[in-house]
Amino acid sequence: MVDPRARARLASDHAALVGAGVVGALVVFVLVGPLLTRHGPLESDFVRGVSPTGMPVGPSAEFPLGTDRMFRDVLARLACAGRLSLFIAVAATSIATAVGTAVGIVSGWYEGARVRMPWPAILGAAVSIVALALGHPAAGAIALVAAVVAVFGKRFAGPRVDLDAMLMRAVDVMLAFPFILLVMAIGAAIDRTSTGTILVTLGITGWLGIARVLRAKTIQVRSLEYVEASRALGQSTGGVMLNHVLPNIAGPLIVTATVQVAQMIVADSVLSYLGLGISPPTPTWGRMLFEGQDYYITAPWMVAAPAAAILLAVWGFNMLGEGLRDALDPNEA
Amino acid sequence: MPWIPTRHDVRAALGLGIAFATTTGCSERLAAPIPAAHEEADAPRRGGTLRLASLADVRTLDPAGSLDALAAEAIHLIFAGLVDYDGRADVVPDLADHWDVDDEGRTYRFTLRRGVLMHDGQELTAEDVKRSVERSLHPSTPNPNASYFVGISGYDAYAAGKTEHLAGVEIDGPYVVSFHLNGADATFLPLLAMPTLRPTCRNATDRYVDTWLPCGAGPFKLEPAGWQRGTRLRLVRHDRYFRPGLPYLDAVEWTYDMQSLAQRFRFEDGELDMIHDMTQADLTRFLADDRWKPYGAAESDTSIFGESMNTRMPPFDNVDIRRAVAAAINRDHYSVLKAANMTPLSQVIPSAVPGYDPTFEGQRYDYAVALEHMRAAGFAFDPSTGKGGWPRPVEYLLYDQGVVLYTAQILQQELAKIGIRLELKVVSWPAFLAMRTDPNRAGMALGSWSMDYPDPSTFFEPLFGSASLAGESTYSSAFYSNPHLDELLARAHRQNDPALRRRLYREANAIVCADAPWAFTFGYHWFDIRQPYVRGFVAHPVWGRDVSHVWIDRAAPGVQP
Amino acid sequence: MNAFARRIGWSVAVVWAVVSIAFAVNTLLPGEPARMVAGPQARPADVARIASQLGLDRPPLVQYALFWKRLVHVGPRVVDSTGDPRHANCAPVVPLGSWAVHLDFGKSFQMRQPVADLVLARLPRTFALALAGMFVQLLLGVATGTAAALVRGSWVDRLLVGTSLLGISAPTFLIALLLQYVLAYELRWLPLDGFGTSAGEHARCMILPALTLGIYGAAYYTRLTRDEMSVLLRSGWVRTARAKGLSPWRVATLHALRNALVPIVTAIGLDLGALMGGAVVTETVFRWPGLGELSVKAMLNRDGPVILACVVVTSVAIVASNLVVDLTYPLLDPRITARRGPGTR
Repeated sequence: MVDPRARARLASDHAALVGAGVVGALVVFVLVGPLLTRHGPLESDFVRGVSPTGMPVGPSAEFPLGTDRMFRDVLARLACAGRLSLFIAVAATSIATAVGTAVGIVSGWYEGARVRMPWPAILGAAVSIVALALGHPAAGAIALVAAVVAVFGKRFAGPRVDLDAMLMRAVDVMLAFPFILLVMAIGAAIDRTSTGTILVTLGITGWLGIARVLRAKTIQVRSLEYVEASRALGQSTGGVMLNHVLPNIAGPLIVTATVQVAQMIVADSVLSYLGLGISPPTPTWGRMLFEGQDYYITAPWMVAAPAAAILLAVWGFNMLGEGLRDALDPNEA
Repeated sequence: MPWIPTRHDVRAALGLGIAFATTTGCSERLAAPIPAAHEEADAPRRGGTLRLASLADVRTLDPAGSLDALAAEAIHLIFAGLVDYDGRADVVPDLADHWDVDDEGRTYRFTLRRGVLMHDGQELTAEDVKRSVERSLHPSTPNPNASYFVGISGYDAYAAGKTEHLAGVEIDGPYVVSFHLNGADATFLPLLAMPTLRPTCRNATDRYVDTWLPCGAGPFKLEPAGWQRGTRLRLVRHDRYFRPGLPYLDAVEWTYDMQSLAQRFRFEDGELDMIHDMTQADLTRFLADDRWKPYGAAESDTSIFGESMNTRMPPFDNVDIRRAVAAAINRDHYSVLKAANMTPLSQVIPSAVPGYDPTFEGQRYDYAVALEHMRAAGFAFDPSTGKGGWPRPVEYLLYDQGVVLYTAQILQQELAKIGIRLELKVVSWPAFLAMRTDPNRAGMALGSWSMDYPDPSTFFEPLFGSASLAGESTYSSAFYSNPHLDELLARAHRQNDPALRRRLYREANAIVCADAPWAFTFGYHWFDIRQPYVRGFVAHPVWGRDVSHVWIDRAAPGVQP
Repeated sequence: MNAFARRIGWSVAVVWAVVSIAFAVNTLLPGEPARMVAGPQARPADVARIASQLGLDRPPLVQYALFWKRLVHVGPRVVDSTGDPRHANCAPVVPLGSWAVHLDFGKSFQMRQPVADLVLARLPRTFALALAGMFVQLLLGVATGTAAALVRGSWVDRLLVGTSLLGISAPTFLIALLLQYVLAYELRWLPLDGFGTSAGEHARCMILPALTLGIYGAAYYTRLTRDEMSVLLRSGWVRTARAKGLSPWRVATLHALRNALVPIVTAIGLDLGALMGGAVVTETVFRWPGLGELSVKAMLNRDGPVILACVVVTSVAIVASNLVVDLTYPLLDPRITARRGPGTR
């Protein structure tokens, strides 16, 4: 699918290489760092970590990045937190981007038209919604996958539905639903705040914006002259989507995805603010920011360390995304 | 032309982020205290407005509608009661001139002062007292503390709506009112001093309505535009307050919903006169600054915190394991988190409650003893190898606000040292309140309880008495039941002799600490810091920031004293 | 017209679905509203009495039906607390002679005031803050993105994008705290927090929260604008326009920007809707008395009437803004035509 010239461009793009390097360095830091630090990320040191006035100590020989509110080593926590933060960011963005792209392109392409929807797909979707509402995410996911597969089967009969309208109304419902209430509901239904809960929360809310933006772009793209031309020449819908739509929407897609990675890393901070982040004492960069907010004036290292890590990660992904985008840009000479 | 990032660019981008965050903290000195204008003079001066702030908001100022401590700060200034608490939380007469106790402690007859004028100018009579009590305890009133007064005879029938009036309150003369109780009750006077039954003006009528403007007989009154919800409350002096010369202040103002940092900024500027909602970081700096040290004062502990162990669920159905937990927690590790507000606690009642014995140490940190208890329980733990202890992780329930998030993590570390692994389950506050009533829910939960009124029974009976286990909403998350303790508590409830009562509660204290359904960890108190020009402030054990005797001695703005 | 009417119908259905789901979730979440009103230490008998006073002992379906029944109806033009108790909690919104259309969300459990009054008082404040925040976002984002696209590849470009990344890498509360510290406390240019009493004070108090929202959200628009603009600046027909002698700025703003508008406007619609839901954190830090602060307090207190009222208001706002955005697509880019479709599968 990817043009070999695009691959060549990517390999020679310095920005993308630097970005990949930064991300790679971070990955090494978070995988290896916790094994090398002197203190554990979960141990409070009430003797050396506390200053005479009762405040956490600042950066020193013993604690290179100081201690946090509970007198634990910030450097160790930073490395340990990075694992979860990077994992959640990448995983949640991948889910959100994949789902959002699929829904956005399909919705934009079939906007204004009625599409034949096979009965098994409708049944599968209904079963999946009921399963999710009753708190069986695994069964719901299986039903959903089955529904999607059924869509591609040509043998089934089904009614003609305005697919775009249905999908976009579902997106509207989910966008309009208050985020806090949704997170509380997920937390109460799944009954434990773990990485999985966070991923579900972020995944469910993350794809909506992408879907709408890509739908708009798809509508714009499908009216382009050369797209209409290639359809008139008989290229299949799938082929048109892959060869023409995808490269054209690559721009907003990558922009949104790289911005989303940043937002996902920071999202755990917002969830902690609402009391719904990962259960303590497990650290994430977002949680470290949240725990340090009272001390940003008096003990700025508590906030500066995770902020710098996040900035570095965001910057790295941004460069990577920029390189990808330049590589896929069909207008590049 | 493709841009190739150089090392310079990398450093620049990183520098932006780190520099911004760190340079803000480097050189920061607290503002100086604003001195009093006449520091040597001790005589109170009339005039001025005292400005306070708070993180939260008050929901209602109607004494029949609320109980939270923040509202009580204002309500006790608007409404005076028959009796009040003095500086040691003992009950003294206020609107009542004196009272007599008859009939083996079952009747209290109060003689009111003459000539007490309420905010609307009318004189207070016994009629007003009875009307206010009936208004407060009527079944249509959303009164969260009505059940506390179940000891007044006729309460059950009145609360069920079967009678028109409350039989237990009798008017014996224009200025004499009697309360008849079902039995001798040592908690009656402390209950009466609470805001709930305090007399209201005649325009309150005898039924609660949401739109009534609070009006009573206290030193400060509320004007019609004085309360903007969620923003500001302003009380002004009641000129005809029955104590001559008081209050000194012209007005008191609260600003609500203000964040801690914004409060501190305003306090340093002199826009707020007293502050108690500071973050731990700020408190530490104020206390370390010699200029501010004389103007900080701790209040007494009005609430207790502890680790509540579900006595019906393994491992905490075993008393040795509970004792091990109580001995394994180093309370100093907790209180270093917020030293100005937390006092290590080793018994059931906190320091504000009469009967608190500072010499009694019911539970103590002793790591060797803790290991010994674990061995006695049959789950010996070897710290050097990490083997032994309780095999399965224990779920610990807590809510997501404040210092308890951090104390829970410290508890995890302490209990890991005796071989008990904790899994923290953080839920929202309403979910916590609902879940802690379920005996099948969690092995351990955060225990916290505030003083309803200054009496030991408000701690023992709801938390460790079997009576509170009945019904759906129990707050006794230890689900603890001890018949001997129940009998002690019942006797203490009826015992009017203070010395005998203290002895009974001391015995109860010893039983609970030894049986350890809770591991008591700390008591919480507010810490007030005031500007030097705020004079006459004495923290009150019940009302906290009691400003009824405060005066302001400030130089005119723009004048350097 | 037919399609438009159908779209309106769908929008109403969406609002109904959101409110119903919110009602269900609110009923099923653990935690009793009556306990939240009575306090954690109230005795069970008192909690039960308060529950029945608040109507919480009725079955959920009955409460649900009652909510919709009284939500919109016609009643007397003037309403006050001493009048007809059936209309005690109503807010007359659309006058019809001596009658008016009433909006009734019931009475707040916690604050014991008509919810309609609370919501209608706070709605304009949140709306004003949303518009201000949107304005700052767009100004910062589009301006920096355009500038970056024009000088693409130079160090100015990198600096602009890097600064916008700062904004997106920090959570809102951190940006809020830092702005407050630097601009209000250290430099004293702006008020610390609050709402103020006069129109001038309202405007001054709105600057910091609007800046917070703007800085956080601008990064997305910066990158999007920069990307779209640089594609278009290099493409054929813009080069033609340049060859005709038009200045680069004119080219950028008139031609290229208009074509980049479609994804930008979509994002605006999404953002405006989200901001109308209330920027909870910003409103809390700056004491801006808006819907966000109201709704989060209500959710943590299980104050059902307030929660549902906020959900109704914000879902209407979000659905409306998405609807408006969808309708403007053909206006923005004339190449977008109504579907003359390739047929169906």
